[in-house]
Amino acid sequence: MQRRTLLSWMAALGIGRAQEPFPGGQAANLRALARVVLPSAVDAASAADGFAQWVRGYRAGAEMDHGYGFTRLRTKPALPVASYAKQLAALGPEPSAEAVAAALEEAKVAELPRTPDGRHVASDLMAWYFRSSDANDLCYRAAIGRDKCRALAGSENPPKELR
Amino acid sequence: MPVHESDVCIIGGGISAAVLALKLSELRPGISITVIEAGNKLFDLENRMRYRQRSIEYAENPWPGDFIEDQTAKGVISRTMAVGGSALHWGGTCNRFSEEDLRLKSMFGLYTDWPIEWAELEKFYCEAERRLGVSGEPSPHPEDRRSEPYPMAAMAMTHNLIELRRWAEKTGIPFQTTPQAKNTQPYDGRAQCIRCNTCTICPTGARYSPDFTFKRLLARKNFALHERTLVRKLVLAEGRPAVAAAQAVHRDRPEEALEYRAPVFVLASGYCWSPHLLLLSACSRFPNGLANSSGLVGRYLCGHAFLSAFIEIDARIYPGMNEQHGLISRQFFRVPRGGGFVRHDLRVWESASGHEPRLRAGDGRVLLGDALLADWRARSRRGTARVRGYYDVHPDRESSLTLDDSARNRWGDPMPAIRHRPDAATEAREPAVREHFRALFDRLAKNDNGKILSTSAGNYWDHPAGGCRMGTDPAASVTDSFGQTHDHENLFVVGSPTLPNAGCTNGTLTFTALTLRSAERIAERFRRNG
Repeated sequence: MQRRTLLSWMAALGIGRAQEPFPGGQAANLRALARVVLPSAVDAASAADGFAQWVRGYRAGAEMDHGYGFTRLRTKPALPVASYAKQLAALGPEPSAEAVAAALEEAKVAELPRTPDGRHVASDLMAWYFRSSDANDLCYRAAIGRDKCRALAGSENPPKELR
Repeated sequence: MPVHESDVCIIGGGISAAVLALKLSELRPGISITVIEAGNKLFDLENRMRYRQRSIEYAENPWPGDFIEDQTAKGVISRTMAVGGSALHWGGTCNRFSEEDLRLKSMFGLYTDWPIEWAELEKFYCEAERRLGVSGEPSPHPEDRRSEPYPMAAMAMTHNLIELRRWAEKTGIPFQTTPQAKNTQPYDGRAQCIRCNTCTICPTGARYSPDFTFKRLLARKNFALHERTLVRKLVLAEGRPAVAAAQAVHRDRPEEALEYRAPVFVLASGYCWSPHLLLLSACSRFPNGLANSSGLVGRYLCGHAFLSAFIEIDARIYPGMNEQHGLISRQFFRVPRGGGFVRHDLRVWESASGHEPRLRAGDGRVLLGDALLADWRARSRRGTARVRGYYDVHPDRESSLTLDDSARNRWGDPMPAIRHRPDAATEAREPAVREHFRALFDRLAKNDNGKILSTSAGNYWDHPAGGCRMGTDPAASVTDSFGQTHDHENLFVVGSPTLPNAGCTNGTLTFTALTLRSAERIAERFRRNG
């Protein structure tokens, strides 16, 4: 492969590109969005910070799982961080549920993504949280700890109830 | 050209190579063994917790670098090429086949018999379970008798599995927990399972993977592991049908040819790459490929088909307690007298299917925040069982791996094309099998207010094997029951390729047991003090 081709591929995948700062000047708007799209039982500020940290830790171009029965090699696409910032700016500091729903309609987001897929910052924030082990615990009001490592002993009992 | 010499040259570095090399080194400590693997060596247990976390948070590959970009096959179901092979990221399921699998012809007039007695295989099942470290509980069926107990007590059933077993056994079908190569206590220098719920990337080593065996082997002075080295051809000795050398290339030095010489060669590259290498090694004396005077190298590729259902029931299931541990019933391994031939296992796991968070309500409204959570909670009051049956299908001769001239790797070698095809008898009974499963899923759903959410049929044959099937007749098989090829007295094939059929449950334990048996035959070629 020619160096130029390689570089153009890398650019398209976002490999080697410095991740744009996130949420940059939109931190307040991201927290405001979290208050609307996440459950009230969740600390919206810390969830917004957690999502921002997740975005900063994202590695465009990283190998994706090619597990058993799924043999196509794939890499992680670039996250549209610049679009996130524009979407947050458009939603403003006090987004209403209606405005968020309208934005998701406009972005043609039909389902909650399995993992954040870059279509809209609201659905990606929701996917990041609602697909998490913590959200699973909140739904079942139980300390399941799906993504934690836990002792075998006691697993024959229902997980401890969360209030 | 660099030439590497050893007593035994094993091509392929997966689970079969690992157990074979270790047993050979124990039986004949004086012999030298070289394992050649095309993929990378991923022995960094210390990084696996981090890889696991990246996989959970970002869906990244938990085994980075476990493939070779241009070394692939049409129809293959795993891209993994690394030291440890597919067993790096297997689930650890260690079911045994049953005697019926070995006696299809004599018991049912179908397909073929294996050239090995059940009692003989059972002995090596016990050894395989000891070496891999299998935890399990005895089967309730007397036909599944064992000559030794499992090395470790079964994995504790979670609350979810207790609920699911209670539900499933209301049908009168007995279930047990699935035996697994996972430590329920510290075993063989590896840790006890701490239920990380990500068995395909076990961060603690509680689930067996071949890298542990290779690490042990590397501490021995007569063992060499050459990773990132692709064997491209086997070459015969002048004037006799013995393999003299394996020609290879190191992926970091693509211009430099390598040669491996040994009195014994063992192919341990799995159902895809073992027959592929034999076909690539065609020469004037064997124009159809080595070991292929029967014309059956790459033929009778087998596996099992599967049917699945998600069934919602009145049970409090908490998704995520231990999703990869499940139940199995072996009741349908036997065929009732007077009934049609339908053989399968029956598996049950916890599931979140049908109870996952959703963005839109049934009427299309967007759900946000507390509304989404309330909708999710309302739909999660009941539990879901994931049910699957792997059923017995038998391959046609045309179920095959062939060389595909339209797809080549960087060295110009044609890559394999795999096409599974059932034999006529299997095709003829498919409607009856489907009807049997439909009735079975209905029977399960009759209890606890069950509702079948969905059913599906697999679109590939799982746990693939075959391509160098074993047998007594050199005209109808590639190897004998020890994996020794009929055509070349110093060339063996071990692992999944030698299976004539893939049974109706996971095959790893079976081909590991057969490989351990092959080790004894190969060791006999060397003096005890050799």
